[in-house]
Amino acid sequence: MVRVTIDGQEVLAPKGQGLVETAASVGIEIPVFCYEPRLGPPVGACRMCLCEVEGLPKLQAACTLTATDGLVLRTARTSEQAAGGQSAILEFILLNHPLDCPDCDKGGECPLQDLTFRFGPGSTRMQFPKRTFDKPIPISPLIALDRERCILCYRCTRFSESVSEDGQLVAANRGAQSIIATFEDEPYRAHFSGNVLELCPVGALTSTTYRFRARPWEIQNVPTVCGLCPVGCNVWATTREGKVARILSRNHPEVHEGWLCDKGRFAYDHLRAEDRLRTPLVRVRRRGFEEASHEAALDAAEAGLRAAGSSVVVAFSGGETVEQATALARIVREGLGSDAALLPDDWDAALDAFRAPLSAIRDADVCLILGDDPVVERAPVVDLWLRAARRAEAEVIAVNPAGDVQAAPGSAAQVCADLREGKKVPTELRETAKSLKSAKRVALVWSEDDPTGGRHVGALANELHENGRAEVAVYVLPRTPNGRGVATAWYTVGEGRSDPPGEGEIGALVVSGDEAASDPRVADLAARASFVLTTAMFQSELTAWSHVVLPGTSYLEREGTYVNLEGRPQRLRRAVVPFGPDELEWLAQLAERFGVAIDPWAAPTAAEQADLPPADEFAWSRPDPQAPPGKPAGPGLELVRIGALFSGAAVERIPQLQFQRPAAEVELAHEDASTRGIAPGEAVVVTSNGTSRELRAGLNRKLRVGVVRIPAEHAKDFGDRVQVSRLSTGESR
Amino acid sequence: MPRRELLLEDADTRDLTKLAGYEAIGGYASLRKALDMERQAVLAELLDANVRGRGGAGFPMGRKASFLPHPDDTPKPIYLVANADESEPGTFKDREILLRVPHLFVEGVVIAAYTIGSGHAFIYLRGEYLAEFEVVTAALEEARAAGYLGKNVLGSGWDLTVVVHRGAGAYICGEETGLLESLEGRRGQPRTKPPFPAISGLYASPTLINNVETLATVPKILELGGKKYARIGVENSAGTRVFSLSGNVVNGGNYELELGTTLRELIDEIGGGIPDGRELKAIIPGGSSVPVLTAAEVDTPLDFDSMAQAGTMLGSGAVIVIDDRCCMVQLGLRVAQFYMHESCGKCTPCREGTRWMVQLLRKIEEGEATQGELDVLLNVCDRILGNCLCPLGDAAAMPVASYVAKFRDEFQRHIDEGACPFGGESSLAGVLAPVDQHDAHLRSQIEVPGIRAERESLTEAHG
Repeated sequence: MVRVTIDGQEVLAPKGQGLVETAASVGIEIPVFCYEPRLGPPVGACRMCLCEVEGLPKLQAACTLTATDGLVLRTARTSEQAAGGQSAILEFILLNHPLDCPDCDKGGECPLQDLTFRFGPGSTRMQFPKRTFDKPIPISPLIALDRERCILCYRCTRFSESVSEDGQLVAANRGAQSIIATFEDEPYRAHFSGNVLELCPVGALTSTTYRFRARPWEIQNVPTVCGLCPVGCNVWATTREGKVARILSRNHPEVHEGWLCDKGRFAYDHLRAEDRLRTPLVRVRRRGFEEASHEAALDAAEAGLRAAGSSVVVAFSGGETVEQATALARIVREGLGSDAALLPDDWDAALDAFRAPLSAIRDADVCLILGDDPVVERAPVVDLWLRAARRAEAEVIAVNPAGDVQAAPGSAAQVCADLREGKKVPTELRETAKSLKSAKRVALVWSEDDPTGGRHVGALANELHENGRAEVAVYVLPRTPNGRGVATAWYTVGEGRSDPPGEGEIGALVVSGDEAASDPRVADLAARASFVLTTAMFQSELTAWSHVVLPGTSYLEREGTYVNLEGRPQRLRRAVVPFGPDELEWLAQLAERFGVAIDPWAAPTAAEQADLPPADEFAWSRPDPQAPPGKPAGPGLELVRIGALFSGAAVERIPQLQFQRPAAEVELAHEDASTRGIAPGEAVVVTSNGTSRELRAGLNRKLRVGVVRIPAEHAKDFGDRVQVSRLSTGESR
Repeated sequence: MPRRELLLEDADTRDLTKLAGYEAIGGYASLRKALDMERQAVLAELLDANVRGRGGAGFPMGRKASFLPHPDDTPKPIYLVANADESEPGTFKDREILLRVPHLFVEGVVIAAYTIGSGHAFIYLRGEYLAEFEVVTAALEEARAAGYLGKNVLGSGWDLTVVVHRGAGAYICGEETGLLESLEGRRGQPRTKPPFPAISGLYASPTLINNVETLATVPKILELGGKKYARIGVENSAGTRVFSLSGNVVNGGNYELELGTTLRELIDEIGGGIPDGRELKAIIPGGSSVPVLTAAEVDTPLDFDSMAQAGTMLGSGAVIVIDDRCCMVQLGLRVAQFYMHESCGKCTPCREGTRWMVQLLRKIEEGEATQGELDVLLNVCDRILGNCLCPLGDAAAMPVASYVAKFRDEFQRHIDEGACPFGGESSLAGVLAPVDQHDAHLRSQIEVPGIRAERESLTEAHG
């Protein structure tokens, strides 16, 4: 600790702490615009924080200074020189700013407006025409840029350069003509583009989905958690007149450091999609579906389930709250006497020994990423943590078909086994094994579906900890937002789980939610079920197979608990009221009919605040997992399906997000493309299982030879191997 | 004070651009001498010489070099960067050195690199200096072939690579941290200091950055010995400087003089005085960014301390002579336009303030300004001064504030008479301001032969 004097007040501060924070700790505000510690080292561009430092003749940008012993700082409160400097800067900032606060969306929640009211001049001495630019410029379908309002704090470009590292936002021109632009004027297409909206301290970057929709004094911000991926970013749901109007981040420094992906930020409007199911539907013989009262629908559901006896299968989505999943599990287990369930994510409890907050990734020396799914598509913010680790000079090694080590598809379990072995490590993994061996802190990230619930990577973690003496954190990325919570709920209510019967008739199938409804395994079960009860927000092929369909709700409409990929229980709060009873309410009513008592009100507990236990108890008692055998080789190229982030029912219903959806593209290794004479961007025919589709060829120099990657939505009906060929000249003309 | 040439010695009588010519006058002997010495001993000579930076700020070179960590104490490489991005208006001394004594400069680079234990030196050359680029690269090639740089320099076991990087035409890249950003391939904008380049410079590694003239002085220091060199010039301003004399003077050009020579000696005796029988009105003694001196101050000696006493700076050693035909408001406008055009846009006061200064000065020159606006102009200068990230903002505010302070009556007449008193007869009238020059250049697509050939080859190379 060092002693710093700020405005005559002595402060004890950790050495090296930023002076803006040191001052804030004793209630002294140093105003800033460009300063934002999450964006890396301070740049001292806006000069708003000018302060007097004893012993230095010139004013100093306090944001660039850190606490050192004996430092004497005088802010504008006590130093005339600093007050003069600060007022000069504010005058310069406002010189060419349009001051169109009455029709600016930032008005009322604008740092520039706030600081101007508090420190700024009451009138302007500027007698010349202000600088003008064309505006607003749509830098993407999601973001509008007003260059006249921009004060060039470079927060957005710094985010793009050194947080998301997409490098798409740049400053162009120089001096008074400096502008923010996208690289080569291409649309800003990136997973995290929306964060610049919140970073912007003025109304220069506004979202097309919120522009002109609401004023700060007529909105309410509901603190809740995003329910679109397993990270569980903390958010504010801004509501106006009972509708969600936007999503803002609510910084949880251990989970997401305040960053959100564009799906989490912009997909909220699917709540108000035209085609949302609003009333229960019951299938009536020869007449198709009829709208039914809630009571009638429950009657039909009860009748269908009773007729099935104990031949019941339940398919979970992984988007249910823990309370919802518990209720459904109790109905199936206690009320109906079945234990057959499809869980989207399984979970091995032994992994709890390697639990750590996501922020621990940044402190690792070595990060090992396993599995075929790109991390950014599965749990986007984890990708930002990995980038932060790399910037902090950690070694980040991806082992997958397009990784630093180009492993065969589906070989992650084998890679774990090889690395655990230690002796006969295959050549391509030797460097990785060496790095792991010398590391003090290791983060292991598993990024694909794992039927064993993470046991392979768990065994590797155990090995590294027991024999390598490393601190190990394991992050198994579930496929679904609350897959961990749903699995926990299922196993808490009863023992074990049986798989649904592989063939033959099924008495009843309960499909819980839209993700389960779009699962091909569930479609197969539905075809064999005498009775199908489905809850969903939207119609799908599966609702057409159902006998009773109950309208579902979204994560923004429910109270309850989600467990994120760290195993952290977090509370969902109802931002808006759904138009009918939510799932928990009708599950309670259904349960009553089967003699099971369920509280229809979710009662989140203090567990939300639970500390993460340090990883010091290691209980790896289960037998080591056996790696599954590799897939047999065959003709053609091996297909890896990418589950793109920007896909699914919610994204499909947001017009502004369509440009983010995965392109109809097949990614080829450079060598595979050249042997087939395929040029990048060329149209090619991909054939598999008797299905042919025309896709654009994309070349990836990092992709393993013999492997292609196609976004899942463009790989429907394909098998594990595909043929890729050029469009014959006749067809392409 | 007598003329004394060190750097440009013999350059008028011999061709020193070729290695043979340079070796004939004892070239590269200083390097041999340095390589026989311990690094610390070479540094001690530089400290003894008390040579101050020739780029503009005048920071003692030896002290700057002594801030770098010893190569054994850092895991990072150490870099030497030669700042050859000469672009301060009125300054053309580095190009003289590069064109006429390139080997002296190269020798200085090699010795300086050896002194700080660097294996990699970069020469950041102003993009417009095409001929200089060719001369310097030829000299480097000759020196490399002769073993003065490259692998195992003169059998010492020490390797040095030298890379010439050409700028893309930005004044701000002459500022050391802006230069480093540009050299790293980024947008040329200054960094905050600290950390200083000596600790974290190029690629976040310890870096010594010196001006061309400073580096060219190094072989001479070793030749004479630091103590002896320190006796040249006056106290606190050791050695000689190459002064770029320009403006309303009969014999403009570069003159190497001992520090402490008076302005009068330079202008009248060496420069031949003011042409056409005009009167001396003002002198800019160190490049366009420094405060102006009046004709009455012509006896001020050209050294660091005397200039500071007179309220100005020696700067880059560019002496611009202004006669009585020049309108000081127009001069202020020209200077402000230059800095507005070259402001990088990173920090607020410089970006916004220089533009406001230009607007106000133009209004004054056009005779449209009110009394209040003259006060606003002075206040704007005051509000820029000392509040910027780098010295560029100050470089615009300082001279303009000094023009108003020393020639206030002239500014006042613009306001009182509602027009420029020079009525289009000013020596600056009709001369395009840099901003307009730039626009005119873009419009007319002026083709400079060498540049065109280069542009064509670039187009071919990049398809």
